[in-house]
Formats: sequence, C-alpha cells, structure tokens
Amino acid sequence: MAYQRLPAGVQDVLPRECRLLNNITARLRGRLERCGFEPIQPAALEYYDGYADIAHALPQESMFKMTDTDGRLVVLRPDMTLSIARIAATKLPALPVRLSYVADKWSLQPATSAAASREICQAGVECLGEEGAFSDAQAIALAVECLKETGLNDFILDIGHVGYLKGMLEDCGLGEEDAERVADYINAKDALNAERILTRAGAGSEARNGVLALPMLFGGAEVLDRALALTKNPQALAAVAQLKEVNRLLVQMGYESYICYDLGAVKKFSYYSGIVFTGLVREMGAPVLSGGRYDDLADDFGRHIPAVGFAMGLKRILVALERQGLITEEEPPLVLVAAEGAEGAAYRRLLEMVRGGTRVRLSPLRGEEGRRQEELNGCRVLYITEEEA
Amino acid sequence: MIYFALAKGRLAEESAGLLARCGVDTAVLYEETRKLVLTSADGRYGFLLVKPSDVPVYVEAGVADLGIVGKDTLIEENRDLYEMLDLGFGECRMCIAGYPNRRDVLTNAHLRVATKYVNTAKRLYAERGEDAEIIALHGSIELAPVTGLADVIFDVVQTGSTLKANGLVVLEEVFTGITARLVANKVSLKLNRELLPLIERIKECIQ
Repeated sequence: MAYQRLPAGVQDVLPRECRLLNNITARLRGRLERCGFEPIQPAALEYYDGYADIAHALPQESMFKMTDTDGRLVVLRPDMTLSIARIAATKLPALPVRLSYVADKWSLQPATSAAASREICQAGVECLGEEGAFSDAQAIALAVECLKETGLNDFILDIGHVGYLKGMLEDCGLGEEDAERVADYINAKDALNAERILTRAGAGSEARNGVLALPMLFGGAEVLDRALALTKNPQALAAVAQLKEVNRLLVQMGYESYICYDLGAVKKFSYYSGIVFTGLVREMGAPVLSGGRYDDLADDFGRHIPAVGFAMGLKRILVALERQGLITEEEPPLVLVAAEGAEGAAYRRLLEMVRGGTRVRLSPLRGEEGRRQEELNGCRVLYITEEEA
Repeated sequence: MIYFALAKGRLAEESAGLLARCGVDTAVLYEETRKLVLTSADGRYGFLLVKPSDVPVYVEAGVADLGIVGKDTLIEENRDLYEMLDLGFGECRMCIAGYPNRRDVLTNAHLRVATKYVNTAKRLYAERGEDAEIIALHGSIELAPVTGLADVIFDVVQTGSTLKANGLVVLEEVFTGITARLVANKVSLKLNRELLPLIERIKECIQ
C-alpha cells in the first residue's frame, strides 16, 4: 500500500479502534443525558481576537491559526471550556444549565513533544451558574461515575484547590513573576528551586516553610488537617475549609475510596479559581481526566457565571482500558450470502435481522462461489436460498 | 514493583551505589548482559539503562516510575514530572566558555554558540535579548571554538581540565549546583504505594 503522510500529532482512527471509541462515547452520552445534561456543540473555528484579548488568554503559540477571506485571524478551537464559557455568557440567558459535549480540540504543541497529540478528542461537562461545596462534590462524583461508565475500574481522583497555594504565596510577598515561578516549581514538586527564589525574595520563615511543605502535601483526607496547620492566611484557610466540606459530602455520597488530595498541584495557564481535580490511572503516566471550578472565566466574555466542569481524554482512556486488559472486541457482523435468484429474499431477511438488532451485512457476492469467498475471508456466513427465505 | 530509568555514563555508578545503600537489590546492574530491561532477583525492581537525555522521557511517559538524572538534562528537556530530591553527587556547572579574548570578526554579527543543550541555550539567549546562532553538537564541544566552528560553547564543566588543555576559559557560570536528581512520574507518585517509602529512605540516606 502507498504511504501518504499525515502531519505530526494527528491520527486516523481506524475501524477497530473507532468502534471502541464510539462505544465509550455512546455510554457517556447516555449517562450524561440521563443525568440531566444538555448536549452542546461549539463551532470549531473562532476568531483569534476573542481568545487573545481576554484575561485568561491562552498562549498564542498553542493555537492553530488561519487567515479568513477578510484577512482576520481564525483559530481552531483550542479549549472546550473557553468556548462553552463564551457561549454561556453570550447565548444562554437561562442559567443555571448543565452542558455536556464530545468534541475535538486542537493544540499546537511542538510536533516532537512526547505527548504529541495535537488533535484531542474529549468528552466533558460544564455546570454553569452554580457554586458551593455541594456543586463541587457533585462534579467530582460525576467524574467518578463517568470514568466508571467508560469501563475503567482502577483509578483515583486527585483533588486540590487553587486558593491554597495562592494564599500561601501571598504571604511570601513575591512579585508576580517570582510567584509564578514558585508555583511552577511547586507544581514540579521542586522544593529546591522554590526555596532559592523564596530566600532571595526575603520571605518570612513561616510563610517560606509553609510553601516548601507543599510538594509533599498529598495523600488521603488527613492532608487537609496538615494543610490547616501550615498557614494563617485567610485565603488558604478558606480553601482548606472548602475542601473539607467537599470531602465530607463525598464521603457521605459514598466516594471515599476514589479520592485523594494534593495541595501542591496547580495547573498551568489556568482559568481555574477554586477546587481542581485530576483523574489518574496507574497504567497511564498522564491524567485521563482534568477539571475544576472556574468562577471568573465567563467574566472575560462579559458575564459573571460561577461554574465547574471537567473533560476526559478519550484516547488516553482507551489506552488505559487496553493496558488494564478491559477491552473486549465484538464479533464481526454476520454475512448473508444470497443464492442465485434469492437476492430479494436475502435482502428481506437482512432487514428483518437488522430490525431484530443483529449486526449483519449482505454480501455483494452471490451463489456457492460467493459463500466460499466470504468464508475464506473468515466471516460467519448465512447462505440464503429461495426455500430458506 | 518499581521501574527506574537510570542515566548511563557519568552518573551510573553513583546512582547504583546510592540505590544499593537504600536497600534496593542492584546486583543485576553489575551482571554482564545484553538485556535492556533488568529485573532485580527479588522481582521488586526493574531498571532501564538509557541515555541521560532519555531518562526524563521514560519518566514523563510513566514507563519508569523513578529516574536518576542530572539537573542539566532536566533543564534541557523541561518535561512534566516531579523533581523529588537533590541527590548531591555528580556536581558540575553549566557555563559559557571560550577564548579569554573574543576575536571580533566583522562578517559574523551573531555570536555562534556550540552546545548539546540546544533548548537551554536558545532560551538563555532569548531571555537576554541577544541574537545567537546555536550550533547543535553531540560531543567534544570544546572542538568548536578551537576549530573556529563557534565563538563560544555552552556546556557542563566539571573540573575544567578539558577547557584548560585547549586554551579555553569559563567566561560565565550560568547555572551552578547542577547535580543528580531523583525524578518521579506524576501519576506513579500517587498510585504506586511503594514509591513514597523508598523516596523517604533515599532522603534519609543522602542526609
């Protein structure tokens, strides 16, 4: 077969994989539909300006850009949550609303990067116009249920809160640039470099020690108590109080065994403003689900809408399922072969079987020769003669 | 089971020694073999011996749970992983080196920098707002200024004896305290229960 090159970071999804992907999305769509989520499908092309001039702008080097016929710059949808926040702020007067989607987003990563997927198929939800611990807890519970719905059974949700690190850094009296760098180092659990900047900036010893304890501040719900003891900053304390309440609710709802906490986790280029969470699977080195609360994002589009949501990377979930040995492939369809003269009868039989829910196709070949050919291809064949019909 | 990605080369011996002191059965690392994945006799540890620059790749992807690699490589690769401990050994500096008096050549407006740390060098000169032509090499970097291929080099300097033997000097120390680091995969750290206790043991060991 001839070879036709694809650009780096994209791939054709071939039938066997596509069938599995479709099964997962069908199950997720069904689940979310039954849970009262409205489906939504944002446009894939949008104006670049809309994303460049906002407070929570994405880095421009991460977007695929094109020029429209009128010379304006157009981007391929770089992020689902941004799109949906824009839609909610400008087109959905009736709030609250819970939305769900299955769609692609495009990310212009260097083609050589390890995670070089530049076309990412996601399923996700956005709960717009709601706030509070019970809303957070429901989003996390739904994340667990969605992952279960895909067939995964061994995963955890790692929960953090943006406000904790923010509050701690506030107490260190860092400039914006230094604060950002410390946040990056904390995210990499690199206490050494964080310490270097904190010392140089002359942070007080209590504030400094608090921040330096962050990289190891992860584990079960007991880390929330450790977190309380580390700081007196009101924003940080409020964040822990919120997490404790969310934890209490999640325990009550029966999700204790699925959750753990990491207060040193921050997300890059982030519009998140409160609780954040990540779905982790042992077999995958990278998260399969990512989400959180983003109360100020819609402000960028002219309307204040507190909201929480998450997205799942369907390709990663599929890989995780395969690595967990949880993928079962369906049998190929049954093949009907019509005997010479029995074409009409075979076609009617086909319609009947399809109605009955059988996966079946009618062979374009006919007669004994056709039957032999199809059998040679390894198909299960049902030979239809005039009498049999 | 814990999988390690270990850098071959200057850090290999000390990495293995440290792990052995922390109770990891590393005997398999000293066996004469052509196998690429080595498993300890007790079956608790797996080792991947790879080029230094590949260690962050294996750890980021989660193929290895832990890795031991120089900070120079981490800066260059800039991967999404956890940097858990400074192991202290293999210390060196990342320096710009060249002839003490740069020979000004009219036809060569840009500084030509030879290095195997291409990403780091690009970032470095971009941050400084200085135009530089980065020349990617894979070994014997000192040869570049000696032969006129480049004006300066950007490389790790341990003792400086190679520089000296070729009449070159350190013009600027860019990063000091470049040592071996223990890195961890972000998901493994949370989900592989054997990881944290081992990291704690290593931490005690190096103190």
